[in-house]
Amino acid sequence: MDTSVITDLFDTSTDNALGWIGDNGEWLFEFIRFVLQGTYDGILWFLELAPFYVIAIIAGLLAWRLLNPVAGLLAGIALAFCAFMGLWAETMSTLALVATATILALAVGIPIGIVAGFVKTFDRALEPALDLIQTLPPYIYLLPAIALLGYGPATALVATFIVAMPPSIRLTSLGIRMTPREFIELGQASGLSPWQMFTKIRLPFAMPSIMAGINQSLMMAFGMVVIAGIVGSGGLGETIYGAVRTLDIATSINAAIAIVILTMVLDRLTQSAAHRAKAGVR
Amino acid sequence: MNTVKEANDVLLDCQNVWKIFGARSSAAVKAVSERGLSKKQVLQDFDCVVGVSDASLQVRRGEIFCIMGLSGSGKSTLVRLLNRLIEPSLGKIVVKGREIAKLNPAELRDMRARNIGMVFQSVALLPYRTVLENAAFGLEVRGVPKDERNETARAALAKVGLSDWISRYPSELSGGMQQRVGLARALAADPEIILMDEPFSALDPLIRRQLQDEFRQLTKSLGKSAVFITHDLEEAIRIGDRIAIMKDGIIVQVGTAEEIVTKPAGDYVAEFVAGISRIHLVKAHSVMRPVADFKTSQPHCDVDALLKASPETDIGELIDITMRSERDAVAVVENGSIVGVVTTRGLLRGVAGMPAGAPGAA
Repeated sequence: MDTSVITDLFDTSTDNALGWIGDNGEWLFEFIRFVLQGTYDGILWFLELAPFYVIAIIAGLLAWRLLNPVAGLLAGIALAFCAFMGLWAETMSTLALVATATILALAVGIPIGIVAGFVKTFDRALEPALDLIQTLPPYIYLLPAIALLGYGPATALVATFIVAMPPSIRLTSLGIRMTPREFIELGQASGLSPWQMFTKIRLPFAMPSIMAGINQSLMMAFGMVVIAGIVGSGGLGETIYGAVRTLDIATSINAAIAIVILTMVLDRLTQSAAHRAKAGVR
Repeated sequence: MNTVKEANDVLLDCQNVWKIFGARSSAAVKAVSERGLSKKQVLQDFDCVVGVSDASLQVRRGEIFCIMGLSGSGKSTLVRLLNRLIEPSLGKIVVKGREIAKLNPAELRDMRARNIGMVFQSVALLPYRTVLENAAFGLEVRGVPKDERNETARAALAKVGLSDWISRYPSELSGGMQQRVGLARALAADPEIILMDEPFSALDPLIRRQLQDEFRQLTKSLGKSAVFITHDLEEAIRIGDRIAIMKDGIIVQVGTAEEIVTKPAGDYVAEFVAGISRIHLVKAHSVMRPVADFKTSQPHCDVDALLKASPETDIGELIDITMRSERDAVAVVENGSIVGVVTTRGLLRGVAGMPAGAPGAA
């Protein structure tokens, strides 16, 4: 039997479905695009209010308070270095992209994770979907996104959002499920209502895991935001993509360094926040 | 009259309670209630484990009731049945005149929050809260305003001697101190009944003894009732007004420490009490001989000239009295008249744990 008939049928129907969604859901995607673009523009506008040294100093102070003086100094200098390379505007727009996508991913992922932590069947149904999202090559998300939302930051945001969401769902659900047995018993024996059990026992115990999820989501977002340079995300991702196309090695290395600096600073800051949550639960 | 008064005093009444675990537990329960199957038959026919089998006990107001058994005896299951952390398969549990199986979720929560406190072996102090916040937890759950609950919690912590530690975190405290916080948390909510699930088992012997004495004294002075689970008979004897011995889910004997030590029901209990020191358990009334009996064996001895003791005097004190006396006997006096005589032989018999009234008593 010729199986190509089946695959062709599948391909055309997928294309048709995508076309149909694009034609009939235009208003919806216009709206999504508007919201995403608006959030991104807002955050970017805010970040660009301050000159580079103010942001470098703020990051340095944060790292000093959360980690140690050396980390603070390094973080400040490293961020300032991005500006000296002439990549400050790109660095900030990458930061705005990552921040927007991560905030959206957490806003959706953490509630889903909480529900999954309570409802075992939902968690089991979610598992293969999350596995699929995480094993597919991240480029895949760019195509339907660009078909529906067009070229620009909104497309990059959607793709980044999808990639950043799974860790926060997984780790939130894990944290909720891992409440030690004896504390559940304590809650029951003390006469806690289901809501009190959630806010006073389960959530505090899940906090370190949720914080780890936030950190992981952020790291996934950084990975994706560079790839999203292909679809005109703006920022360092697009700088790297442009440099690769013109074989401009120097520029691509500069942009890569800037990405590494930004990633490391944010990683260390959120990681130390996660450790603090853990220290609280000891 | 008397019986009515006693019934009123029963705070917690557990009547013929069964707990059967397993996939076919409902069928097993049916078989037990209809055909009276034994534990072994339940396991064979239904592949279900009997956790608690036909347990009945009453805890009176102000009483410390110990449940003693080895691991797997069902004592932890039994204590969880008392506040319905585990649902009973059969039987009735009545707390303060209300059958707890019939309470709706809100009523059950209210009863747990107000009437039945619980202290765990694992202590279960919330690590992200200070000692004070932990002690105030029960009141917080009930919606008591912050100032009020903190004041109550502070007073409870003072009772267990932890006033200086209120703003510390549990991880900064030793095991014994953590268990004191656990006790303060239960006391702060001011329940009538406190369930203690092996609270001191993980502590070292010296601290354990100290906490046992403190717990007994505190519970008595506050007029609380307690159900105290332990695997240590000495602990049960030290703390309990009455003791229930459990084996394989069955309560094999209930009685005071003296009753259990002097009249063990069966070989299992006898084996347990064999190593227990009787000096502070056995009282004069169980080792004394009738006066007439004493007079025939020692006609020259003047009973009225002997040093005197009450029937509730324990062997330890009787030894002290005998040492001070020139004679080898002590007269037991009740309501002004001599009811018996404790001889040195009698004392030795009591210490050795031989049954009272054994032959050769002269």
